[in-house]
Amino acid sequence: MALNPMEQFTIKPLIAEPLFSIAGHPIFFTNQALLMIVVVVASSLFLTLAVKPGRLVPTRGQSMAEISYEFVANMIHSATGEDGLKFFPFDFTLFMFVLCCNFFGMVPGSFTVTSQIAVTLALSCLVIGMVIVVGFMKHGIGFLKLFVPHAPWYLLILLIPIELISFLTRPISLSVRLFANMLAGHTLLAVFAGFVVSLGAAGGVFTGLAIAPMLLIVAIMLLELLVAFLQAYVFAILTCIYLNEALHLHDNH
Amino acid sequence: MRFFGLWETVLTAPDPDRLTDLGKRLDELRTKQAEGAKRPPPNQSGIAFRFATELVAALIVGGGLGWGIDWLFGHFGFHTRPVFLILFFIVGIAAGIRNVMRAATEINAEIAKGQSSETDDARRNSPWP
Repeated sequence: MALNPMEQFTIKPLIAEPLFSIAGHPIFFTNQALLMIVVVVASSLFLTLAVKPGRLVPTRGQSMAEISYEFVANMIHSATGEDGLKFFPFDFTLFMFVLCCNFFGMVPGSFTVTSQIAVTLALSCLVIGMVIVVGFMKHGIGFLKLFVPHAPWYLLILLIPIELISFLTRPISLSVRLFANMLAGHTLLAVFAGFVVSLGAAGGVFTGLAIAPMLLIVAIMLLELLVAFLQAYVFAILTCIYLNEALHLHDNH
Repeated sequence: MRFFGLWETVLTAPDPDRLTDLGKRLDELRTKQAEGAKRPPPNQSGIAFRFATELVAALIVGGGLGWGIDWLFGHFGFHTRPVFLILFFIVGIAAGIRNVMRAATEINAEIAKGQSSETDDARRNSPWP
């Protein structure tokens, strides 16, 4: 009986032979890659097929797609204003990807892609890279003013490194937040599932007691569904906030 | 209707006049509706977790940067090993506190926005002026 709660996060190659190799490192087709493909295919199929009928009074599927669309559009509009809507496709894709990864991870027996820091760090580096590119494209070298707060010059010697580190912190805090939330939730579920198994096997009075952690799992599952949505939301809104700073620099300080 | 208008604009893009016009109409609509009603409220454990990650991430970045600078200097024959590590760790602490302060103002603004729209709603819906 595998009772290791961390076992669910192991990455296993699904095909024994590596697909190809980059600089001597073999690249395998893993369960993580499979889940990512499933997520991308499922979410794009759902979004395109659901809005296909284009009814004025939407069906349930169409209304789900429309609500998610409007939710992200409103979020970008309120966080960055008019010119932020250019980044709608980027932010909507990120939001849907993270959301679907989180939700597909909730299916028992599947794999949570966002519980891997490699994935979340890659996503957040993409976001920060985008912010830097957009900032330099919009403001040229003036983008560096982001790191210069309004202060007397002798304080700037101290404040510029602080602002610089504060900026470099973003990809890490963005990725760690998502990764740690998913990891913690799924570990908690597995630990309580382990309680059910060991109580059930203990015999006597304890077998009856196994129902208690079982009920708790149901409650945690509901909480995890909320967390899955909330973390996708937080990831998307922080992307908006960072893009807003790159677009408008110190306007909102 | 709002949905289809937006959908069209994003897909076929450009034409800034139409975009700003659409934005104005959207703003008008939005002021009529309860602002921020769709936003999930920040829950307390989420806030606590946000502060913790901001602080710790700044420490890691600061320490890592100092370590890297030391390594670079060591590479060129200057043995500064703990100096920059300690210096940047301290700067990292400051940056972490700055991050937490910034996150706190953001969350405060969000909560204030939610509350004001709630009281506005209450005022609008109440039978008394």
